[in-house]
Amino acid sequence: MSTTPPALKELRDAYDDRPAAIRRRRATGAPVVGCVGADVPVELVTAAGALPVRLSGDPARDRAVADRYLGTGLDPAARSILAGLLSGEPEVDLLLISNDSAASLRLFYTVRELRRLGVEPSLPRTHLVDILHLPHRTTARYNRVRLAETKELLERWSGRRIGGNELAKAVQQHDEARRRMLALRRLRTADRPALRGEDALMAIGAGAVLTAEEHAGLLDRLMLADAGLPRHDRPRLYLTGSAHDGPEVYRAIEDAGYLIVADDHDWGDALAGPLVGEPTLDALAERYQYRDPTAARSSVRVRAAQAAATVERSRPDLLVCYVRDGDEAPAWDFPAQRRAAGVPAVILEHRRYGELGEDALPIIADALRTARPKGEAG
Amino acid sequence: MARRNKLLASSTEATRYQREWFAGLREAVAGGEPLALVNADTPQEIFRAMGIPYVVNQWWASVVAAKRRTGEYLRTLRENGYPDYSEQYSATSLASVLAEIPDPPWDGLPRPTIVLGDTTGDASRKVFDIWDEQDGIAYYPLENAAADTVPVNWWDLMPEQWEAAIGTPRLDLMVAELEGLVRFLETTTGRVFRESRFREVMTLINEQEEWNRRTRDLIARTRPVPLRVDDSISSVMVPQWHRGTVWARDAARRFHDEVAARVAAGDAACPGERLRLMWIGRGLWYDMDFYRHFEERHGAVFVWSMYLAIAADGYIRYGDDPMRALAARFAAFSDQLYRPPWSNEWYLKEARLHQVDGVVHLVGEDARSGWFITETLERAGIPVFELRVDNVDQRAYDLTAVRAAIDDWLITRVA
Ligand code: SF4
Ligand code: SF4
Repeated sequence: MSTTPPALKELRDAYDDRPAAIRRRRATGAPVVGCVGADVPVELVTAAGALPVRLSGDPARDRAVADRYLGTGLDPAARSILAGLLSGEPEVDLLLISNDSAASLRLFYTVRELRRLGVEPSLPRTHLVDILHLPHRTTARYNRVRLAETKELLERWSGRRIGGNELAKAVQQHDEARRRMLALRRLRTADRPALRGEDALMAIGAGAVLTAEEHAGLLDRLMLADAGLPRHDRPRLYLTGSAHDGPEVYRAIEDAGYLIVADDHDWGDALAGPLVGEPTLDALAERYQYRDPTAARSSVRVRAAQAAATVERSRPDLLVCYVRDGDEAPAWDFPAQRRAAGVPAVILEHRRYGELGEDALPIIADALRTARPKGEAG
Repeated sequence: MARRNKLLASSTEATRYQREWFAGLREAVAGGEPLALVNADTPQEIFRAMGIPYVVNQWWASVVAAKRRTGEYLRTLRENGYPDYSEQYSATSLASVLAEIPDPPWDGLPRPTIVLGDTTGDASRKVFDIWDEQDGIAYYPLENAAADTVPVNWWDLMPEQWEAAIGTPRLDLMVAELEGLVRFLETTTGRVFRESRFREVMTLINEQEEWNRRTRDLIARTRPVPLRVDDSISSVMVPQWHRGTVWARDAARRFHDEVAARVAAGDAACPGERLRLMWIGRGLWYDMDFYRHFEERHGAVFVWSMYLAIAADGYIRYGDDPMRALAARFAAFSDQLYRPPWSNEWYLKEARLHQVDGVVHLVGEDARSGWFITETLERAGIPVFELRVDNVDQRAYDLTAVRAAIDDWLITRVA
């Protein structure tokens, strides 16, 4: 048995009980801004002197009240976020919702209307950050306007002007954390990787409730411990499809003897890139418009190119596409991803939130067996 | 109780015109004309102005559904590796480009060269991406923006003060999208965009929708109601698919005049009308007799569905700059129907205008803002029956039980 490096343990602890981490922060009197989706410009929140925390769902949380408002056809991860907000878990001082998926947008409309009607008075003040993603100059100009509005909103809300210095500092801090997340990929994709996919997911996702500085520091320490970590020598999977805001599916796959060496959703590898660079609103707008592709916002063609590039850097034995009920976009990506990846591929459809499903492991094992060239030992 | 019949001459004429138009379109495309497949809530006006033939994606899906062939089309998607459970309505047409469908409805959808849809919905844009992968077919995606705050009374503001209703950033973006579309079409089809023709198209549409508005108002205030909701669907919808033509404008006027004549003659859908009902949601295509069932027992008539009402309130846009006016028609089109507070407050306004006593609300699994619609109506004292049908295709629908439950609701809550 190996011992877990302390940095990994700290990252895991923060990730495992994200609401508790937020509560602790709030108890210090620091303002906390809840963010839904990966398109909220966290730099502006940090620059306004508040802590941006990214809200996540929890498959174990009761969703009944949220389902009443949102219906059951929507991605359960978004329904679970609303269920959390309705029960004050976590409490936040302001809520910023981005348009990073149809579910996030619908969540925004729902919270806004619940507040307007006075049905759920405990819901926090809420605003939309409408960052769009077509790769055109027209969209860039639009995003720039929306970012300027968000900046003004945060200034009014916090009573603090976001000057050039504040923005520069925040951009630098968040870029530093992103640099570490990008570097972390190497630990996952080495010939004999030191980091399980689940650990990587937690190490990245812990940033949802930490300051960028704390996050960068912990990731640094984790990478320093790399040399002492045990090496894994197992069939390598590349997990694509729906985003995972919890560890359940990763754990179920890896406990069965596989290793997830790469993924491409924005609770995982696709959260980091690209960096902002210049501390300007233009650079910020471009960063969010052109951030790493995800199933919800990117075209089939872009997703296929991403799959090819991810296969090249992570050398998986199998591409596994996980499609959650209520989050169907990934199923449309799959045929093109499979063609582009050039490795065996399977799709797992109609998955329940947080569950791998009983049929999944046999499907994966089968695909690996038929894929393995003759004569190679098991 | 009157059986289903073609009550309206305008409806018969619309169906005839649609057949003739489609045959002509097939011929034109066979002769080398470009063809566009466009989503219902996209600016078809540009294609109309440039003389580029187009088919509305959702209309085609409704033709396939009416012939009970949807399952076959969805199977074709599945066989090609795509989901058959996602965006079924907008993906139906895609099947026809992936494989040969034997004996297709209306002799089949000709292969388009251009497809147009917006990026609303994570999966729906992907369907167009797959179109884009096909040889000789180009997809022009339209960005779809949203607003942080909106004034509630969009139906008052939209005709003239759309800038205030939608907000400048969204309109700026949509204008830029449309200008790009014009250039894209000029380049790919060689057709010319003439501003004078475009203004004509925009004027014809405002005229057409003003007729729909008069018809809607007339139906709303006339008791007993001159016609049932399902009598008017073709008379409204077919001209909507052809909006921007003289035929469509005149068809809307003929429909109005027909309704006015019925009102003048005292013709009623149900002379013994006692209760007026509103139908919220897509048509219940597999139980069309549904709408009449309650007349005999309760004198309860369905007087409202969204088709005429959205034609009346959703399209009219005046203004000196026709491109910005067009942007204002589509920058927030689906917000009008599906996003609170616009959707629920509009249904309430329409319920009051039509003097309805109760609302039957079809709540699908994917009920967009369904809870708010029911809540807003009930708060205003209008009883709502939520008809929960999870999937229009799967027919998880017990006809007898549903009718009995509504009978009961009419007696206990509405009458
Ligand atoms: S009054 Fe209404 S219910 Fe009675 S026969 Fe006439 S249409 Fe039918
Ligand atoms: S079920 Fe309704 S829509 Fe379908 S063919 Fe019959 S009448 Fe037409």
